Amino acid sequence: MIEMLKLGLVLMLVALIAAVALSLVNSRTAPLIEIQQELEKQNAMSEAAASLMPDDSLAFDSLSIDNLENPYASCDELLQVVKVFLPPDTSRIGYVFIAYGKGYSSTIQTMVATRMDGRVSGTIILNQQETPGLGANIVKPSRLIDHLIGMNGQECLLKKDGGTIDAMTGCTITSRTVVNSVRQGLEDMNEAGLFSDEIAVDEEHTEGGSE
Amino acid sequence: MSLMKDLTNGIYKENPVFKLALGMCPFLAVTTSVENALGMGAAATFVLIASNFLVSLFRNLIPSKVRIPCYIVIIATFVTLVDMVMHAYLPALHKSLGIFIPLIVVNCIILGRAEGFANRHPVLNSVADGIGMGIGFTMAMVVLATFRELLGNGTWLNMDVLGSAFQNQPLLIAILAPGAFILLSFIMGFFKILETRKGGCQ
Repeated sequence: MIEMLKLGLVLMLVALIAAVALSLVNSRTAPLIEIQQELEKQNAMSEAAASLMPDDSLAFDSLSIDNLENPYASCDELLQVVKVFLPPDTSRIGYVFIAYGKGYSSTIQTMVATRMDGRVSGTIILNQQETPGLGANIVKPSRLIDHLIGMNGQECLLKKDGGTIDAMTGCTITSRTVVNSVRQGLEDMNEAGLFSDEIAVDEEHTEGGSE
Repeated sequence: MSLMKDLTNGIYKENPVFKLALGMCPFLAVTTSVENALGMGAAATFVLIASNFLVSLFRNLIPSKVRIPCYIVIIATFVTLVDMVMHAYLPALHKSLGIFIPLIVVNCIILGRAEGFANRHPVLNSVADGIGMGIGFTMAMVVLATFRELLGNGTWLNMDVLGSAFQNQPLLIAILAPGAFILLSFIMGFFKILETRKGGCQ
């Protein structure tokens, strides 16, 4: 009985030391990690937007989500759309958004830049933890995501689903996730009227007046 | 002398994969390319050395009846600490090795060497064993990954080897899960033959 208590105490002590060490290090590193990820996101955003127009002085402005009527109930994350413009001109030249989709073993985040006509101009995989050597190859642009460039929401479909995009061999789930999440984002934005030229022009005027 | 022996032990004589059949899950999962094999090998070697060091250091303090849970806590804590520190201060390295870190926690080579070696040997020998086992594991992974990447992708370490004609129609099964088992069984069989030949001569 006493020995059991002793063993229990030793285990508790080991777990306690481990927990304290972990929480101490976590409190130090968590803010740094967050900064890193934010920085990565910013860099990816600039990189994606460079496909619209290769200019360092591009500026971004998040659109408030209220502008979008679609509640995106199918996705954990709200669709965040950022408009891209070239100061001092405030008229938008395109959008950048992040598409989220459940892949084979992780949530895949794809950063997508689109032109005003609703066509994809650039894609970057922001975050994924798919199988190394297979699904993880999604980060190599030529394997899949480069093929999305120039497509609009309706064309964004795998060959297996009736479209024209070849899935990466052995990774249909990963490929389908990326393609479908991008299509979902494009369609949602289209429904919200972001791509229609008239609205774009309208908003351009009102924004020009207010800024 | 004995240090040297502990060091070289893991490389061939007790190669963790081919001889001890330890660490099969990451071995089969990550050997899809030589690059991944090297990354996983480097990360696992580092953790192996450190966990052998820690377990050997505390080997007289931990009661033998609860040693396994203690080892698991020590290893898991250490791996998580490495993950967090690397993510915060070495983001570039974390980007390339980060995916392997969760896999290391469940790598049974590390627990196997803690239980089978470090808890009975002095610190220095345990570290030597960790280095040797790490090198052995890395080498074994590179061997299998070489076959898988060559056959399944036509490349080696991302370099073009077999030409574009092959790359358009590679032997895809080699890079998929069944290929790992098939190629592993060939390699294991090869080592078994070597072993029995040697035994027969003596």
